[in-house]
Amino acid sequence: MVNQLEIRNLHARIVDGETILNGVNLVLPKGQVHAIMGPNGAGKSTLGKIIAGDPSYEITKGDILMDGESILEMEADERARKGLFLAFQYPVEVPGVSNANFLRLALQAKKGGEVNLTEFYGKLQKALETLEWDESILTRYLNDGFSGGEKKRNEIMHMMVLEPTYAIMDETDSGLDIDALKVVAKGVNAMRGPNFGALLITHYQRLLNYIVPDVVHVMIDGRIVTSGGPELAMKLEEQGYDWVKELAVSN
Amino acid sequence: MELTSSLSRDLVLEVSKKLGEPQWLQTKRLEAWETFAKLPYPTTRTEEWKYTDITEVPFEELPLELPKGGVSEIPQAVQDRLAQAQLSGYAVFVGADLVHVELPEEYRQQGVIFTSLHQALAQHPELVEANLFQAVNWHDLVGAQKNRPENSKIPALGAALFTHGVFLYIPKNVEFSKPIGVFKYLEGGRLSSSRTLIVGDVNSQAVYIEEYISPARVAPSVNTSSTEIIVGNGAKVRHAHIQLLGQGFYHFHRQRAHLQRDAALNDLVVNMGASISRAEVQSEMLGPGSSSEMLGLYFTTGQEHVDHYTLQHHVADHAYSDVLYKGAAKDQSRTVYAGLIKVEQGAQKTDAYQTNRNLLLSADARSDSVPQLEIGANDVKCSHGSSTAPVAPEELFYLMSRGLPRHLAQQILVKGHMADVLTRIPIEPLRQYIESIIEEKVRV
Repeated sequence: MVNQLEIRNLHARIVDGETILNGVNLVLPKGQVHAIMGPNGAGKSTLGKIIAGDPSYEITKGDILMDGESILEMEADERARKGLFLAFQYPVEVPGVSNANFLRLALQAKKGGEVNLTEFYGKLQKALETLEWDESILTRYLNDGFSGGEKKRNEIMHMMVLEPTYAIMDETDSGLDIDALKVVAKGVNAMRGPNFGALLITHYQRLLNYIVPDVVHVMIDGRIVTSGGPELAMKLEEQGYDWVKELAVSN
Repeated sequence: MELTSSLSRDLVLEVSKKLGEPQWLQTKRLEAWETFAKLPYPTTRTEEWKYTDITEVPFEELPLELPKGGVSEIPQAVQDRLAQAQLSGYAVFVGADLVHVELPEEYRQQGVIFTSLHQALAQHPELVEANLFQAVNWHDLVGAQKNRPENSKIPALGAALFTHGVFLYIPKNVEFSKPIGVFKYLEGGRLSSSRTLIVGDVNSQAVYIEEYISPARVAPSVNTSSTEIIVGNGAKVRHAHIQLLGQGFYHFHRQRAHLQRDAALNDLVVNMGASISRAEVQSEMLGPGSSSEMLGLYFTTGQEHVDHYTLQHHVADHAYSDVLYKGAAKDQSRTVYAGLIKVEQGAQKTDAYQTNRNLLLSADARSDSVPQLEIGANDVKCSHGSSTAPVAPEELFYLMSRGLPRHLAQQILVKGHMADVLTRIPIEPLRQYIESIIEEKVRV
C-alpha cells in the first residue's frame, strides 16, 4: 500500500462555472507536514475543499488518491470516515446540537458503532488540555456564537478527537493573535507522527514558525509552481510572490 | 352500535341520544348541523384555503366513529408514550372509547376535574354548559374570514357530530406543573370527532398535552378536533397538541383560547403526520395584561401536506402575543402557514410578534407563508416576518466532512433550524420525544 495522499494532474471548476485548478500535482506522504502557500485567488482553499469532497466543485480531469485508492467518487462523509479531515476556514454555526454531542456522532460514524463514553471523554480531556481550553466549550452549541478564534481552535479540537490520517487546514491561522496561533500549532504538533499527514494552507509564513513543515509548495493560478524546504517560506516572506509569478509565466 | 348512515340531521339526533345528552346540547348540535348543511366546503378559491386542496377528503363517505364500549386495552404505542412521558394524570382514548383515566388523588382533593366530556356533562352540568362552545363554535369568525362563511363548515361538523372528548377544570388558586396527558389512538377508516374543554379558573396553573397516534398507514380517515381553552384572571395554562397520525389521515384541528386579565397561555402545536393536516390556532386577548406564546413545529415528508393558521386577536390593551412557527419539508411534501395579528381599536400598548421560518430539504418540497397584520390602534408594537430557504449546501458539506452521513447531517440541520422553538419547550420528556420524531422522519 502507498502511504500517501496524492493529487494527480487535478483540473477543477465551480459547478458550471469558472475553472480554478489547472493541473495540480502534489504528493503528501503519511508522516509529513506540507504547507501550501500562494497569493489570494491562487486556488489553495478550493484545493482543500475539493480534496474533502465539496460538491460545489466538479473535477474535469485528474485524480485524488488516498493510500493508492481514488476517492473522487466518494461523498464528503465517506472520505472523512476513510481518515480525511478538513479544518474549515469558516466553520458553520449549528444551533441545537452541542459541540460534544456532535463530535460523538462524528466519532461514532467514523468507528461505525457506539463509542465508549469514558474513552470519548478521555480524548476530549486530552485535546482540551493541549489546547489550553476549559470544558464549557463542550456544552455550547456547535460553533454557535463562537468568536473567530474559538472556531479555529474548535476545528483543531475536532481533528484531535477524530484522529484523521490526513488533515488539511484551510487558513487556520488567519485572524488569530499570536497566543491563539501558538495554541493551534501545539494541537497540530501533538498530532505529528508516522501515522499522520497534514497539508497547511496558509497565506503567511507566520504559522510555519510554529509548525515547521517538511515541504513548502507554492501555488499560483491553480497550479503548484515550485516546491522546497522551509527556507522557501522564508524567501516568500522576504521577497513576496512576484518572483514565483514570473516563474509560473516562464513555465 | 354502529352507525354507517351518511351524515344527516337524524344522525346528529341519534348521536346526542345515544350519548345521553341534555336538551340544550342537542339544540346546539342541531344549530351546528344547520350551519354545516347550508355551507359549501372551503375550496382553493377560499382565500384561507388557497394552498390546501381538500376535494379528496371523504368527509361524508365514512362511518362515524362512536363509542363501542368494552374496550379496555391500552395500545402498545400509547403504553410506550406513557412509559416515557412523565405525566401526573392521563387519559387514553381508543377511537371514541375512553379506556383509562387517572388523576393523582391530591389533585382530586383540590377540586381538579379531569374526565370525559360526557361524564362531566352528567356530574358538573353547569360548568360544562357555561363554557362549551364559548371559544370554538360554528359562527365566531374573526377578521377577513367573516367574509367567507365556508370557514365555519368543518368547525360546524365538529360541533354537530363530536362523539367524545375531555374536560379539564382547575379550580381557583390550584397549581400543578407536572403535565396531564391525553392520548387519542385512532385505528382509522372512520370519521372521528372530538372536543376538548379546558377551564383554568382564577390564578390556577396547569399543563395539558394532547397526542394523536395511529398506525403508520390507514384506510382513508378523517379526524376533527376542537379545543377550547378558557384561561381565567391571572391563570396560566400550558397546552400542547401533538399530531402524529399515519398516512391516510385527514386531520382538522381548531383551537381557540380566551385569555382574561393577566392570563397566560403557552401553546405548542406539533404536526408531524397525516396525509393532509390543518391546524387553526387562535388566541383572544380579552383581558388587559394577558399573554399568549404560540409555538409551532412541523416536518413533512413524502407527499404530506400540512397547513397552519394562527390568530392573535388583541381585544384588550396591554397584552402580549408571540407566534413562532418553524417547519421543514422534505421530498415532495408541502407546508403552508398563514397568520394574522389583529389589533382592535382599543387595544393600545399591544405587543405582538409573528415569525414563520421554513427549511426545504429537497428541490420538490414547497412552503408557502402568508403573515398578515391588521392594526386598529395607534400605540402598539407589532412585527411579523417569514422566510423559506433550502438547506445551505456549505452547512451540509461541513457536517458531512466530519464523517456524518447525509441523513444525520440533515437531521442536525433540521434540529438546528427548530432549535429556538425546541429550547422554549420546558417539558424535557416532551422535547426529547419531538426530537426523536424529527430524527425518525429525516431517516426515512
